[in-house]
Amino acid sequence: MSQEPTYASDERGANGRTERIVELLTSTGERAGTALVYSSAYLAAIATVEVAIAMALLSLSPNPAPVVVGLVTFAVYTNDRVADADTDAVSDPERAAFVRRHRDALYLLASIAYGLAVAISVLGGPVALAVTLLPGVFWVAYAADWIPNVSPHVRRLKEVLVVNSLVVALAWATTLTALPVAFTDAAITPGTAVVFAYFLLRSFVDTEIPNVGDIEADRAIGVATLPVAFGVPATRRALYAVDLLTVVLVAAAVVTGVLATGPAVALGAGVAYSLVVTGLLGRVDTDALELASECEYLVVAAALVGPLLVA
Amino acid sequence: MLVAVVVGMTAALLAWRERQEPGAVPLTAMLAGQVWWSVFFIFEYHAPTLAEKVFYSDVQWVGVVVIPVAWLLFALEYTGRDRYVRPRYIALLSLVPAVTVVLAATNDYHDLLYLDTRLVTEGGRVVLDRVGGPWYWVITGYTYLLGLLGSIPLLGLVRSDAVPFRGQSLGLLVGTLAPWASNVLFLVGAVPVPNLDPTPVFFAVSGVAYLGAITRFRLLGTSPSANHRARRLVFERMREGAVVVDRHDYVVDMNEQAAEILDIDPRDVLGDPATEVIPRYEHLPEEGRASRHLTLGEGIQTRQYDATVTAVDDFHGRSLGGVISFHDVSDHLRRQQRLEVLNRVLRHNIRTETNLIYGNADLIDAEGDHVDAIKAGAMRIEEISDKARDVIDIFERGRQSGRSLTLSGVLEECVATLREEYPSVTVDLEIESAVDSVDASGAAVSPVLTSVVKNVVENAAEHNDAADPWVRIRATCAEETVEISVADNGPGISDHERTALERGNETPLDHGSGLGLWLIAWGAEMADGDLEIDDREGGGTVVTVRVPRLAPVEE
Repeated sequence: MSQEPTYASDERGANGRTERIVELLTSTGERAGTALVYSSAYLAAIATVEVAIAMALLSLSPNPAPVVVGLVTFAVYTNDRVADADTDAVSDPERAAFVRRHRDALYLLASIAYGLAVAISVLGGPVALAVTLLPGVFWVAYAADWIPNVSPHVRRLKEVLVVNSLVVALAWATTLTALPVAFTDAAITPGTAVVFAYFLLRSFVDTEIPNVGDIEADRAIGVATLPVAFGVPATRRALYAVDLLTVVLVAAAVVTGVLATGPAVALGAGVAYSLVVTGLLGRVDTDALELASECEYLVVAAALVGPLLVA
Repeated sequence: MLVAVVVGMTAALLAWRERQEPGAVPLTAMLAGQVWWSVFFIFEYHAPTLAEKVFYSDVQWVGVVVIPVAWLLFALEYTGRDRYVRPRYIALLSLVPAVTVVLAATNDYHDLLYLDTRLVTEGGRVVLDRVGGPWYWVITGYTYLLGLLGSIPLLGLVRSDAVPFRGQSLGLLVGTLAPWASNVLFLVGAVPVPNLDPTPVFFAVSGVAYLGAITRFRLLGTSPSANHRARRLVFERMREGAVVVDRHDYVVDMNEQAAEILDIDPRDVLGDPATEVIPRYEHLPEEGRASRHLTLGEGIQTRQYDATVTAVDDFHGRSLGGVISFHDVSDHLRRQQRLEVLNRVLRHNIRTETNLIYGNADLIDAEGDHVDAIKAGAMRIEEISDKARDVIDIFERGRQSGRSLTLSGVLEECVATLREEYPSVTVDLEIESAVDSVDASGAAVSPVLTSVVKNVVENAAEHNDAADPWVRIRATCAEETVEISVADNGPGISDHERTALERGNETPLDHGSGLGLWLIAWGAEMADGDLEIDDREGGGTVVTVRVPRLAPVEE
């Protein structure tokens, strides 16, 4: 009997240690997850996957393009989040708080990332360098406050309906397609055009989905987006149309022999996934949906790599 | 060279973020020029043909020529000489660089920039070997000239004010000298790889060094050498303590008085956060005087200070920091305390004791004349104490700036009091405008004027022993001033009273008969006006008070 309390105490001690370890792992994991999501590092990872998809679709040899695009994505999005931390406080207070707390470190990391990206792209030649600089230029045009100061007639592109999303989509489609081509000195083919068009359409959808959660904030700062101008149901229908346009594009590419059936199926799986995500627009939490929509490329990558692994 | 691109690009982005800081924009341009130079140098190095190598070599000039101009502009802005950073001067400085770029693009037609261009093999690699033409030496000289001009103020900064910031000073020194030293080594052929100019790499080093400095101690540069000594002298000799803080609230300078007031050694605290050096720093306003006095010292050494913050902006209106000055108000506060005690004594103690004398006089068993004399004496004591209280009231009102009364309100109150106290005296009031557009009655005047005019008219009535005593008040209101003249047919004011007033003080042997005239004189002075006392033709006196009109704020 006298042993019982000691035994119980040991058990509690062992359980306590386990709990502490679990708690430590949980909190560390949460912090890492938070940093990954809020710092836009996950976007960099997805952008890297996107370039890998483009390289696979165009059958290009391995080159540093995915790394460069990952670094540029991290730099541009982190810069954007640091610059917009105050306005984001309305739509996403937790992310804005994270960005504000680590503002200096994030800006430093973003600057180093962009510096590295530019330096690596120099190895790819002038075209690779120009393509790497392109998102930075678009980013300045997209968000810089000094443009209205230069001319009162020039509105920030960020505030103009459709143009804002189209500018972002254009920048990414160009970068994702042109950079691996530039690094490998590959020729421009109809396949290149299809890949470019594919990423243009997909990036447009990826850009408009988060706007649903930012309606109040965008309205407050005078930014015109589809949800602000036409409401959520109309936005949903518009994005369905873009998804279907992607299907038409891929189908046409297959029919004309520009794209093989295997990759086309993988892209189709991505669009099917996107249709589901678009269908949930306005019906579930937008933050989760934003994350889900950006994971479309993981689905495509899995569909591309899966059969190879099985074989 | 790739490392130079990474460092240069990163530093340029970081400098761009600090673009509100003086010097940050030219620094960004300098770093961008360095990155441009490095990038196209790499392209030139890897290019396979002569034509491509020549093209990339020519394109490098765009970055090369930006560097000296941006360098000089950075030095000027950073050291507080930003008045020279104007579009016209920038355009003038950019003239030679622009010509250079044009000559580089068209060299085949004139050979002004390069006399000869060929490929040579060095260390197993084919590199470009170019022989400079006349313009090459012009742009080289121009680059060194601007480099030298920019280095002078920067080195001056290292030599003088930056002494307490030794770490940063070292950064400045390295940042200034490194690229020029490397370029000289390149020109004399003392670099490991001939035809590989290491200067862009060292400009990256400069950029990082200055980037660190730019965010830390900007204000040290605001003492240009030409005026340095004179300004320094004024700063050191001023009676007030002064502490200079930068825009990030770090102490960057202080004079001896401030060190004495705060009881610190300046060498120990320069570069420290102001919150650790100046008590209650966080409660100071952005600009202007603090609402509370700062009390420093202990026991009998305790002293009070008025702390005032003066913002310091640069030529373009950007904030550089501020100066916190400490004005010792201990003596002023002590005098104020003494006045308050005096006020209480006059208001309470003397009045009580006088009433006691007056009351007890009735109980004295003596002849009626003696009792009346005691009572009259007691009444005079009370009158004097009333006047003394009026004087203190005037001083009190004088401190309350921003308040005003209407002219008609002041004069009518005085007339009403006079008629009540001296019913036998005929009082005549007239208010008129000197110009038609002015509303004389509603003109705003200092509240102090009430006590002044009241004493002038009481003085005119009290001593008036004429058979038909009268007092005439004429107020004339002009656009900016109000003139009030009070005439009477009394016996006039004695010469020795007027002499004491004109002299401004009294002696034990030569003094006035009371406080009334002093009250009038001090009151007029506190209302920023002046006072004239003249004899009236046909007997009596004319007292004229001239005061400025105030902004109309009702009390």
